[in-house]
Amino acid sequence: MTQTDQLIEAFDAEARRREDRRDFFRNMMGAAAMTAAGAASLSLATAASAQSTALSEIDVLNFALNLEYLEAQFYSYAAYGTGLPNNLLTGGVGTQGAVITGTGAGSARKVNFTDPGIAAYAREIAADEVAHVTFLRTAIRGSSGSDALIAAQPTINISGSSGGAFAAAASSTSPSLAGFDPYADDNSFLLAAYIFEDVGVTAYKGAAGALINNKTYLEAAAGILAVEAYHAALVRTALYARGLNVASLRTAADSISDLRDSVDGSTDLDQGISPTTQSGNLVSNIVPLDSNGLAFSRTPAQTLNVVYLNRSAVSSGGFFPAGINNGNAAIRTSGAN
Amino acid sequence: MTKEVSVLEIIEKTTARRNARRAFMKTAVGGAAAVGGLSLLAACGDNNDSAQTPAPTPTPTPTAVSTDVAVLNFALNLEYLEAQFYSYAAFGTGLTAAQLTGSGTQGAVITGSGAGFPRAVDFSGDPLIGQYAREIAYDEIAHVNFLRAALGTSVVAQPAIDISGTSTGAFTAAARAAGVVAADGLFDPYASPTNFLLGAYIFEDIGVTAYKGASPVISSMYLDAAAGILAAEAYHAGLVRTILYNRGITNADIITATTKISDARDLLDGTSGGTNGDDDQGIAGSNIGNLTTGISNIVPTDANGIAYSRTTQQVHNIAYLNVNGSNRTRGGFFPNGTNNPNPAFTVGLG
Repeated sequence: MTQTDQLIEAFDAEARRREDRRDFFRNMMGAAAMTAAGAASLSLATAASAQSTALSEIDVLNFALNLEYLEAQFYSYAAYGTGLPNNLLTGGVGTQGAVITGTGAGSARKVNFTDPGIAAYAREIAADEVAHVTFLRTAIRGSSGSDALIAAQPTINISGSSGGAFAAAASSTSPSLAGFDPYADDNSFLLAAYIFEDVGVTAYKGAAGALINNKTYLEAAAGILAVEAYHAALVRTALYARGLNVASLRTAADSISDLRDSVDGSTDLDQGISPTTQSGNLVSNIVPLDSNGLAFSRTPAQTLNVVYLNRSAVSSGGFFPAGINNGNAAIRTSGAN
Repeated sequence: MTKEVSVLEIIEKTTARRNARRAFMKTAVGGAAAVGGLSLLAACGDNNDSAQTPAPTPTPTPTAVSTDVAVLNFALNLEYLEAQFYSYAAFGTGLTAAQLTGSGTQGAVITGSGAGFPRAVDFSGDPLIGQYAREIAYDEIAHVNFLRAALGTSVVAQPAIDISGTSTGAFTAAARAAGVVAADGLFDPYASPTNFLLGAYIFEDIGVTAYKGASPVISSMYLDAAAGILAAEAYHAGLVRTILYNRGITNADIITATTKISDARDLLDGTSGGTNGDDDQGIAGSNIGNLTTGISNIVPTDANGIAYSRTTQQVHNIAYLNVNGSNRTRGGFFPNGTNNPNPAFTVGLG
């Protein structure tokens, strides 16, 4: 093994990831040489990795609600230093849990913003995510007037302290971001947000098909999907622009995407923000898309791989230390990747 | 080790592996996808529900155009417009002839020379904006290619497109209608990076609302792909709005311009407040520049935190700049109207 090889090994850390990428290249090269039938089968292969469990509409809405609890709590703490009121956390499905904020360095708290733009973004996104929690709870409650079908907020860990979920995520990237305090300043907040953003987009997109028979839910889900994509673009654009002067911001974002890619299975579903060179000119990568210009999908299981920070089939971990709450046990477990 | 693996090894050993992968993705599949036809989209369809019975490939006829074909062609007209604008702004040239063919009357992009005509924006003083412009241009071109491949023989030709900022161009007309420039003023979206961003702002958000509005009528076969484009358009809109807001903190004129453009779109689509609702918002938010109280409005949403929808007629009203009803079938950015096998998908509000 050459020294270069060793460096690559060290950088990669995840041997599995490289194999995935090789397979990916192999497939892509094959596809390029193939005709339409080949391209179609490639897409079919992607679709075949989707999970096969039939989901009810309520299952899907509750799944989304768990993710929105997480996002809303994070952005609320970052923007305002406080979490959601208890009347937005109750429900008849699952055990209600608390927010684990950690203590000392890295603990969940109001970010001391110095850039009025980033501070304004944080407050805007926080309001949007709280609105999503409220909306989903109302949609699930429906005409019943009862909270029986609503998933209670599970235990949520948004701590950047030692032992916290952010700390675990940060120490799992390659190169490691260990020591990262998500609430320290503007840049740290953006990177922490980056861990969540894009995931919501892929999760809503992956779930859209399960809502096809209820056009009201479907259109609402499309509306939340769009909002999550706006948020993701905001965060990615801010990191990219700031990355012009602080190069480590771009590489850190790239490494977070790599981490997500490494836990959610062999299909490439994530991209960092660093630019490519095409025809001699730099091209940004604010928008993570496939070759057709389409955003990616994640199945519920793949989404859980990311928020549980685990590539194996587990029912809890990471940002949800007691798992998510859902009436359908089949979508409380991450994928075996 | 096979030769192929050797190539892979080489790619592995570059520090820009991810970049290479990404660049490869955006260029490699184009050729194969171009002849994919509807089956390609079918394969990309609902990937979340294995119980879903794959729908048969639609074989639209002139007498019975499927809703999917109409919707996808409606989307394609918008993508032609966006792709041409971004392509000219980023590269100084439009789509290739092979990307424009199909049923209906094919039209050209109104080009020329001098101030206001479609041309490459000089990004040399603002290289970041140039990088964004190129990214969006590649994305929109990919959307044109993808929709054309998906539609196969049902694809419509590009209609005539006006992306000119001359005194008689659509951009100037839109900017005048919005009050961004005076009634006799010019708006040249190619004149500067900031003007480019405002030009982009005129289009962005519309794609989001159009795709969202179509989501309830599109079949399961196309839902996943449509959701994928919807997301891409929302990312683009988020990008453009974020940059404009960032600049607006120290340049209030930019904030004002976005508010005016959004108000104009509201007026055009019949939702300028009151009982008709309001489905468009500028980026101003509240207390711009105030560190402790400012709240941006990068994301235009309703009270539930959900993006808006527009009908095909509302979208056409904006694209045709149909202020007073005289532009119901053509005008603005589509001087000869849009192309669609279903005529109902080519008109503005009645």
